[in-house]
Amino acid sequence: MTLKMNRRGFLNTAMATGTLTFLGAAGLRAQEGGTLRFGLSAYPPSFDMWASTGTAAGTVKLMIHRGLTSYDPQGVLRGELAESWEVDDAGVWTFKLRDATFHDGKPVTSADVKYTIEKVGAEDSTAFRRAQMASITNIETPDEKTIKLTTAEPIAVVPDWFAHYHMPILQEGSEATSTVGAGPFKFDSLERGVSVKVTAYDGYYKEGEPKVDGIEAIVYSDENLRVAALEAGDVDIIEYVPWAAMERIEENDALTLNTVPGPFMYLTFNGTKAPFDNPLVRKAIGHAIKREDVVAAAFYNHGAPLSHLPLDESSSFYNEDLADGWDYDPEKAKALLAEAGYPDGFSCTMLSTAQYGMHQSTAEVAQAYLMMIGINVTLDLPDWSTRVQKGNEGQYDIAVMGTSADMNDPDGLTTIMDGSAKPSFVRSFGIEVPAVTEALNKGRVTFEQAERKKIYHDMEAAAIEQSPCVFLCSRAQGYAMASTVTGFSNLPGQLTFYSGVTLEETAKG
Amino acid sequence: MLRYVALRVLIALVLVWLVSTLVFLVLHLVPGDPAELLLSAGNTAPDPEAVAQLRSQMGLDRPVLAQYASYIADLTHLDFGVSLRDQNPIAPELALRLPRTLELILAAALIASLIGVPLGTIAAMRDGGWSEKLVSLLASAALSTPVFVVGTTLVLVFAQWLGWISAGGYVPLAEDPARHFALLAMPAATIALPLTAVMIRMTRASVLEVLEKDHVRTARAKGLARGPIIRRHVVRNALVPVITVLGLEMGTLIGGTVLVEYVFNWPGLSGYLVRAVEARDYPEVVGIVLVISFLFVLLNLLIDITYAVLDPRVKLAK
Repeated sequence: MTLKMNRRGFLNTAMATGTLTFLGAAGLRAQEGGTLRFGLSAYPPSFDMWASTGTAAGTVKLMIHRGLTSYDPQGVLRGELAESWEVDDAGVWTFKLRDATFHDGKPVTSADVKYTIEKVGAEDSTAFRRAQMASITNIETPDEKTIKLTTAEPIAVVPDWFAHYHMPILQEGSEATSTVGAGPFKFDSLERGVSVKVTAYDGYYKEGEPKVDGIEAIVYSDENLRVAALEAGDVDIIEYVPWAAMERIEENDALTLNTVPGPFMYLTFNGTKAPFDNPLVRKAIGHAIKREDVVAAAFYNHGAPLSHLPLDESSSFYNEDLADGWDYDPEKAKALLAEAGYPDGFSCTMLSTAQYGMHQSTAEVAQAYLMMIGINVTLDLPDWSTRVQKGNEGQYDIAVMGTSADMNDPDGLTTIMDGSAKPSFVRSFGIEVPAVTEALNKGRVTFEQAERKKIYHDMEAAAIEQSPCVFLCSRAQGYAMASTVTGFSNLPGQLTFYSGVTLEETAKG
Repeated sequence: MLRYVALRVLIALVLVWLVSTLVFLVLHLVPGDPAELLLSAGNTAPDPEAVAQLRSQMGLDRPVLAQYASYIADLTHLDFGVSLRDQNPIAPELALRLPRTLELILAAALIASLIGVPLGTIAAMRDGGWSEKLVSLLASAALSTPVFVVGTTLVLVFAQWLGWISAGGYVPLAEDPARHFALLAMPAATIALPLTAVMIRMTRASVLEVLEKDHVRTARAKGLARGPIIRRHVVRNALVPVITVLGLEMGTLIGGTVLVEYVFNWPGLSGYLVRAVEARDYPEVVGIVLVISFLFVLLNLLIDITYAVLDPRVKLAK
């Protein structure tokens, strides 16, 4: 019948077209070459090089720009635009610049460094290092290659300030959004929200680097698609590997997974209202949660329990005697609650977000364990932007938070632990532990290593006792790449998001 | 007739303005501060002074009504403004992304019509037979499978197992036409699947209804062959409600391809909207919503006109 013929004819045509389209695609897959294709987790929200615009933006900045210093693959501070630095007895830091050039061929001079510091520390600055640069009271440039920095009081971590990916040195007179850097790759082009292309800079100051002809950074916001793109060979390397996919990548011979324990999950409290103004209650919560279950639920076991401050075992500031400061002990938790005057527990809300699985899962596990000691928790799971706002305004009782510290040095915990600073969603609301604040202030200006270790040991002891916040677990932060990719390193601990600095050494093999 | 159309257009414009105003005001009521959000990307605590500076640079320290007034003033001479985050002009970005989403929707509608209408007709012709049951079963399955499941499965099969195609992405038509359509195939098919199910159901119901009509009986009685009856007298008349539904579905898709664009990394309007909302980029959100609501209204107007073409009894001037 006519209809039958039509149907058959139609189906045949449809199948033929479909097949042809797909066959055509097979021959059209991206070509291999000297360009490294990097799967980013997000598009940089802006190209303000000095603003805190996130870790994906940080990776792009590290392709184009360099600071005075950086960290090597082992996480040790090393020189970049500065080849050496020293501090005198008065605490004045002197940096000697190497012979480096910007992408337009002009040399990097002390005037560029001075300009950068002044712009970042300026009154109208929106920069990440604004406060630190503003604390530099005097900048001297005795010659083109020397710069001397004086701070209000001597500060031990000044060289670390300049290692951050949000603190690149820009050319004198350039805008904050300048893509003319002194880094290994020259900015080539971008498609907003989609991709950024850079090409190798042949005047880069490191011999034989960069090793690839260029990088195409392509944004894959969906984490599953990011993994799929790697597995399908559309990209050579991806950042922010989702935990659910880690095992599968490890088992795939064609791929390499590179993870470090680094970023961490923790609970913050609203100390402006009862019962969280009471340190005993906060400490009780610290002892009430079985951290292995958080690691299992939120990170598919790709993480480690954390019952002390996030100072890794490999760090020289790790304190063995405090390692189990918040050990899982429900009896102790109940006793602490009783001592605080809440033998029968209480009800409260816990702020987290439904936008990120790890935040929600952490909240759910914490909720279940707090129930067991009589704390009745209601979850509040708005979108991330609302959660940030509520955190900043203290519209919560307990909140789940996850982040990494600024650096592996304990001073990097300042933004999380220093309750004397203005309210922020990354730390507890209205809880100041003077012993912690004092230790942070003292550690920053102390140069002698043994003395610093003691200061931070006492800080950790006070933090566990007073529990301004409670740490839960560290998570494995991973990059994954084709096995043929060599030279890329995942920097240890809190420095994992600085790993883009090793793209200069990365080769496609 | 002309007056009628002019009135419709005027009402449409007022509607669009109302929508944009509503969105602007609602956005300001929703928690979340663009400056704070931008500078706390990566979960870092921003310098409060830096946030205050950025707020004033973004113009957010002005009263909401003042912001609204200048926004409307710009809009009257078709200036959509710039992104709060990176000062990127919004109009060119809309012009770049809107066609991509429209292409996706049109491709999906084409696929859905080419498959849905014949299958729906078959189902109606064989009402009660096994092929009708099979088609209905397929339609129910297609309708009840979420797009992210379909999308992820397609990526798994065609990109990861078979390796025939990239796992999402976009290449401009001018750059590489073959690759452009290859990349279009999966997201379009994903959107088309539930749409096909809707088309099958609508066509089936509509054809069944028309089959009962007097004019079909008359055509049969005067000895017309089955083929011409179906083509000329049944399907053509049955298509009016089908097209209405297709049009409405396409309207919702303009802002509703979010998941598909996300799963396939298709840089269209929906993905743009989601990122703008997440960042609380007010001018971007309002600009995008404005365009979407404008298109929705326009589409409804077009449906009415199509009615008249298909069914001469429907008159525009009433």
